[in-house]
Amino acid sequence: MRYDVVVVGAGIAGPIIARNLAKAGYDVLMIDKKAEIGSPKRCGEGISIGVFDKYDIPYDKRFINREIYGAKLYSPSGYELELRYKKVSGVIIERKVFDKMLAFYAARAGADVWPRTEATGLIRKEGRIAGIRAKHEGEPVEIEAEIIVAADGVESMVARWAGINTYAPPHEFDSSYEYEMLIEGYDPDLIHLWFGNEVAPRGYVWVFPKDEDRANVGIGINSDNPKTAKYYLDKWLRERGIPAKKLLEINVGAVPVGGFVKELVRGNVLVVGDAARQVNPMHGGGMAEAMGAATIASRWMIKALEEENLSLLQNYTREWWEKDGRRLEKVLKARRVTEKLTDEDLDLFIQILSGADAEKIAGGDYGEVIKALLKHPKVLLSPRRIKLLKELL
Amino acid sequence: MVEKVKIVVDDDRCYLCGGCAGMCPTLAINVGPKWEFFIDKCISCKICITACPVGALKAVPLEGEP
Repeated sequence: MRYDVVVVGAGIAGPIIARNLAKAGYDVLMIDKKAEIGSPKRCGEGISIGVFDKYDIPYDKRFINREIYGAKLYSPSGYELELRYKKVSGVIIERKVFDKMLAFYAARAGADVWPRTEATGLIRKEGRIAGIRAKHEGEPVEIEAEIIVAADGVESMVARWAGINTYAPPHEFDSSYEYEMLIEGYDPDLIHLWFGNEVAPRGYVWVFPKDEDRANVGIGINSDNPKTAKYYLDKWLRERGIPAKKLLEINVGAVPVGGFVKELVRGNVLVVGDAARQVNPMHGGGMAEAMGAATIASRWMIKALEEENLSLLQNYTREWWEKDGRRLEKVLKARRVTEKLTDEDLDLFIQILSGADAEKIAGGDYGEVIKALLKHPKVLLSPRRIKLLKELL
Repeated sequence: MVEKVKIVVDDDRCYLCGGCAGMCPTLAINVGPKWEFFIDKCISCKICITACPVGALKAVPLEGEP
């Protein structure tokens, strides 16, 4: 069979590209190896409220578990910093519904969608990549396409088959483990984040409320840690006396947090989302980045098909790096500085900020936050801390 | 020289999250509807074992195998 575009992977980036290309009138097939789109997920399911308008996604109650009004941060010794907004700042979604709806929007726009279809290799003809081979319920199928999109997640094979170097060593990933569970005692209008080198090396523990008494409770740690993410999360729950007995889901995954794939296009193959390691390296969130990259990629795919000039696809690499890549490289740099923070630093910084002008901090003026910290005597007396904070500026 | 090993999965612990496949430098693991290992590609670096969020992988020596 023949399509203009074949998209491998129906997570976040895949369906947005499939929808945009189908809307523009092109023949699109999106495949996913899973039988149920959206499940299992590898995600804390938190996303900022702005993405719905920005990427033209309906604000559909069917996938919104709860609206969130801010965040609460906890230092290793228990200092707290609350950032609360008057308006909804984010939502905790239900990926198994959300991803399926994104695929539905793509299908409704005209794309074909096949779950339980695993890409098994590339079709090469006359020195170019002419499509992909796949297996649908075990039956081999050949899908020819002008453009191939590798939106196949952290374990992406398609881009690597095409010769795009997406490889990164384990140090550049976080390992994560999450329960959806019944939990009480945490303000369900906020997300809650715990930091500390013993709590979650390089990462954090999160509680993302889905209900007053139900939340995603998860952890991310450096993947090259000799202990597992599960070990650290269970330890955290045990130490706080939180019973982990009413569990509704267990999810695990690897999160690429150490830099981004340089070459996003080779010939007629594009890589996007987790497969391109397009994840915010500070918090490990990948959905918004996937949406952004998918939007840029879609635009250049449409242009390349319109003008029958596939070399235009290269503009996706250029534009992504100019916009998102540059910004995320800065975030990555800052993340690498935060890795050097000791538990005492975290205690001190959160303690200082909780006493500072909360509204200013909640306003998200990052520079103001660092300046507030730099004024404190305990910081001023420590050349090491001054150096760290200046690096963060 | 690195001792040549075979990676085995504990199916009861594995969630098929694909982290090991993502971090394997040689595409020696494929995670689809099931976990697959290709010994001819494996370089015995054991990165996958550390990478697994739940400790579902281990290495077994290849000694005695043809």
